[in-house]
Amino acid sequence: MAETNDKKIAEEILRLRLSQILINEEYKAGKFKIPIHLALGHEAIAVAVSRVLQDGDKLILSHRNMAYNLARSKRLKPILYEYLLEPTGLMGGRLGSMNLMNPARGIIYSSSILGNNFSVAAGIAMAEKIMGRGGATFVLGGDGSMEEGSFYEGLVLAKTLGLRLVFIIENNEWSLGTHISERRCPIDLQQMSGSIGIQYLKLEGNHTHRYIEVLGGAREEALRRDDPACVEVIVKTLGDRMTEDGRYINYHSGPAPTVDMTTVVLRENEDDPLFVVRQEVGPERFGELSEKIMQELQNEIR
Amino acid sequence: MKYVEYLNNLINVETAKPEHVVLFGQNINAGSCLAGLTRNLAVQPSGRVINSTNAENSLVGFGFGLMMGGVHGVFFMKQMDFLLLGTDHLVNTYNIIRSVRHQLKDGSFTIVAVVVDSGYEGPQSALNNFADFCSVARIPGFTITNKVDADFIFARHFLQPGFRIIGVSQRLERADIIDPGEQISTVGDGEIFQYSEGEGATLVSFNFSFPQVLKLRASLAARGVPTSHFNVNSPVAVDWTAIKESVSRTGKIVVVDDSKSGHVAADALMAEFAGIPLTKKIVVKRKLGEDWLHPVSDLFEINEERVIDELKP
Repeated sequence: MAETNDKKIAEEILRLRLSQILINEEYKAGKFKIPIHLALGHEAIAVAVSRVLQDGDKLILSHRNMAYNLARSKRLKPILYEYLLEPTGLMGGRLGSMNLMNPARGIIYSSSILGNNFSVAAGIAMAEKIMGRGGATFVLGGDGSMEEGSFYEGLVLAKTLGLRLVFIIENNEWSLGTHISERRCPIDLQQMSGSIGIQYLKLEGNHTHRYIEVLGGAREEALRRDDPACVEVIVKTLGDRMTEDGRYINYHSGPAPTVDMTTVVLRENEDDPLFVVRQEVGPERFGELSEKIMQELQNEIR
Repeated sequence: MKYVEYLNNLINVETAKPEHVVLFGQNINAGSCLAGLTRNLAVQPSGRVINSTNAENSLVGFGFGLMMGGVHGVFFMKQMDFLLLGTDHLVNTYNIIRSVRHQLKDGSFTIVAVVVDSGYEGPQSALNNFADFCSVARIPGFTITNKVDADFIFARHFLQPGFRIIGVSQRLERADIIDPGEQISTVGDGEIFQYSEGEGATLVSFNFSFPQVLKLRASLAARGVPTSHFNVNSPVAVDWTAIKESVSRTGKIVVVDDSKSGHVAADALMAEFAGIPLTKKIVVKRKLGEDWLHPVSDLFEINEERVIDELKP
């Protein structure tokens, strides 16, 4: 049973990576009119969150929502067609990328404005409580959005009102073109959460099973204690490149020119969830799964 | 009965019975309870009354979240200028929600904001143009100026599915509620009210200038000039047909707007008459350059004699 589950998780992570590689190819070919933020490197946390989400739970996302939408919908075509603004897209081509949601699968709000979604999530979590529906709410942000005052306000609101709200902060250390060290003093999220009495948890290493275990525990605690939690996830947003003059550019949005159809693992260490998956299933099995899933995806969007 | 007492009663009647009502805002159930506006709030056991944190931006987002979850949220705001902190949600969050119709469900979100127009508040509380907030994202909004519009707007819009802002005047709070008698007609869902019918001129009041125009109307009537008086309660996306039909009969229009902004809602109405020859077009607005950046009287007065003179044939 465990082996079957491992295989499924490995397949899900691979599907998210290969789906993004295919989207990137369309992007490089100039097929999209809208801005799109790839989430290469975010696959492990996206799969883990999707696995932990139960019926009735709500997921509130940010502009970099691709991995989560792919994980929740389990299909590439509706998302690709949404990006192409086609009526057959996931939301009829009316939302595009940065605000893409999927209410049928629990994603009821996505915001392109940094920090905008924390308070909306608090309201949604309060509504869950008022209506007695008993679900948990998860809200995604990053190391950029946690600089907004609305993050602090959201934490205080959630703690004060005893909301079943799990804040997930994807810390990729970059806000568009500036690294944390360039733009601000360090923020100790554990201390910040602790000062408000909110449980803090940290995830790193892209081990999806561990992520599922921790997030599932955070969800259960939030429900049991009527109390929020804050989970910091260390991620590397892959697709970075060097300019001709030797300047490093971390990936933010747009096509990723250094990513192509030939390479699935983009970084040979735990920064890349696919490196971790390959270690877990072995290179031979990894190759077989990659080939199989790529074929399925290409058939799906053909 | 005072204006604020009347509105407090309406609020308490409307919020007492429905299920899943969450009333929130700073000090709404403490101290003066927003000068009495939110005194004795009570909701069903399924709801909550929350003396909230001081976080206006997040409280606006919180209200939208409540609405998306099917709850009736009401944010009582002591000063409308605090709503500047929530402008992101007024525009961006509201735009997303209404772009996906099913998000609206049966929930509602109402912001009841006190427009600080009583004067002597100092430079940071000079903003009094209710239309500015409605305009940024074509938000349904309604000013409350008297007993008739209060009854209609609270019954028709408060706690109804969707989002709106209701503007309450601080200047009028301590005054007796104006009872203008039976209004002749209501345009749309309370966007415009017509209070009198007369052939001498068409009077249109905007923002919170209803009392001043009511007084002007009485002065004109005393001089044998019966007028048609309209009050525009909802400053955006208004159907001007009724006012235009009135002007086509009277040939004279007097528009009054006490807002301080550069762009005021009255300008939108006057644009409808651009190039149309009328016997008289009179626009009464605040003069740019007037001193409102210090603790001064905020009272907007109409030079009635001048208007009456200008309306003479």
